[in-house]
Amino acid sequence: MFIVDADVHVNDTPGALAPYCGKPWRESLEELAKGMWGYLDIPGFAPSLKLDPPIIGGHPTRSVNTAADMRAELTELGIDAGVIFPDHLLLFAPLPHIEYATELSHAYNRWLIGEWLNKEPHLYGAMLACPQNPEDSARSIEEYGREEKIVAVYLPTAGVNPLWGHRKYDPIFAAAEAMNLPVALHSVTLVSPAFPCNIDQFENHFGRQVVSHAFGMMANFTSIMHTGVPARFPNLRFVFTEAGVGWVPYLQWRMDRYYREYRRVVPFLERPPSEYIRERMWFATQPVEEPEDPMHLVETIKHYDPDFTRTLFASDWPHHDFDHPRAIKNLPMPSDAKERILGLNAAQLFNLPVPQAVAAEVR
Amino acid sequence: MAVYEVGPVEDFPVGSHRVVNLGKIEVGVYNLDGSLHALPNFCPHQQGPLCAGNTAGEWNCSIKTGWLTHYDRPGEIVVCPWHGIEFDITDGHCLSSPRYKVRTYSVNVVEGKVTISTDRAVASSKE
Repeated sequence: MFIVDADVHVNDTPGALAPYCGKPWRESLEELAKGMWGYLDIPGFAPSLKLDPPIIGGHPTRSVNTAADMRAELTELGIDAGVIFPDHLLLFAPLPHIEYATELSHAYNRWLIGEWLNKEPHLYGAMLACPQNPEDSARSIEEYGREEKIVAVYLPTAGVNPLWGHRKYDPIFAAAEAMNLPVALHSVTLVSPAFPCNIDQFENHFGRQVVSHAFGMMANFTSIMHTGVPARFPNLRFVFTEAGVGWVPYLQWRMDRYYREYRRVVPFLERPPSEYIRERMWFATQPVEEPEDPMHLVETIKHYDPDFTRTLFASDWPHHDFDHPRAIKNLPMPSDAKERILGLNAAQLFNLPVPQAVAAEVR
Repeated sequence: MAVYEVGPVEDFPVGSHRVVNLGKIEVGVYNLDGSLHALPNFCPHQQGPLCAGNTAGEWNCSIKTGWLTHYDRPGEIVVCPWHGIEFDITDGHCLSSPRYKVRTYSVNVVEGKVTISTDRAVASSKE
């Protein structure tokens, strides 16, 4: 089986990005590289607000530092190709300094291409969009999006303010549509004053983790729909990663219900939201829901994706809640549906080469 | 009944934790204060290498503790390195869900050698 992973993460430290960063911000990264910062917790780079003391007895955090290591580790998991997202720059959106954030986004994209995509044939990249500077980001999409192995535009989702449906981001959506690149929303657990991740009121990580990704997705998805982004950019495709899929039917049904009631306030939506979802939105499985009866998950997927063409396997390797491909392989669903979810849907969406033997089998 | 000899008892000192091969299967052997225990190196959640994980204690907070947090039984819990799921080394039960119990193996010392039995009836007599 040909397995494509829609979401893997690379260790984007300040020191690693510094050589790819223009001055004077390179010096900022070099200063940060001298410090001993924590996992997804670097002031001025991955601004977090870690509220808890260390809790002993947990499992280790993991990072991947080189393309060769990533290739070896994905092979160990039985994964043929992967789409790269950052580690620390999952927390990119709250960086307030526009000029610095803009240059940092360039540094990440150059580093992604230079150190990862150019070094391993089956690693692909979601280039970083810079919500702090949509006009520059649109130019970046036109520039880096020409790279064959850039296959998506990553929209940093946690802590973004305003949410991604705001019209200030239209240049980013227009550029992604023009370059035929899907946009990929990806959240993270982040204590931030921005809706809906203002999760400081949870007293431990369980509450923050449960809420942050899924509600970050739902808020941004609703934002995108309520300003008509899918209608105004009729060829733009959307990917939602790292929030599981259980929330999708709920939000789809809820949006459809209120579309019927309030169509007059969203007249740019010419059809119910579920039709835009069916047509141009993809959902990555990780962290896959694990109900007692796995058929309940299969039924959940069918509510938004009856043909199993809009669901993508993602491992989230190497993070603490990654999924092995067998989490999908073991589901009670037809084998051709598993083949689509595990690889063929992503290959089609991201326009990846499919090995000839697999392609022949599918035909 | 299959019984495997896995090495001299000196190789399993108090507090130690080793993974050994029994034919085709891997087993984690733990010495908890002089008492030897063995579990499969296989997490039933997503089939991760359970015994490659750290050992830890048991976090408790209940009416019995007056709803204060206690950290008990240090070293008696193994934490799967893949997803942090906790198992009791002494009986294989999963601290977070009855769905994921692992079996245990009977461990003995015979003439200075550590032996492990894969026979389930013997193992279950401990449980």
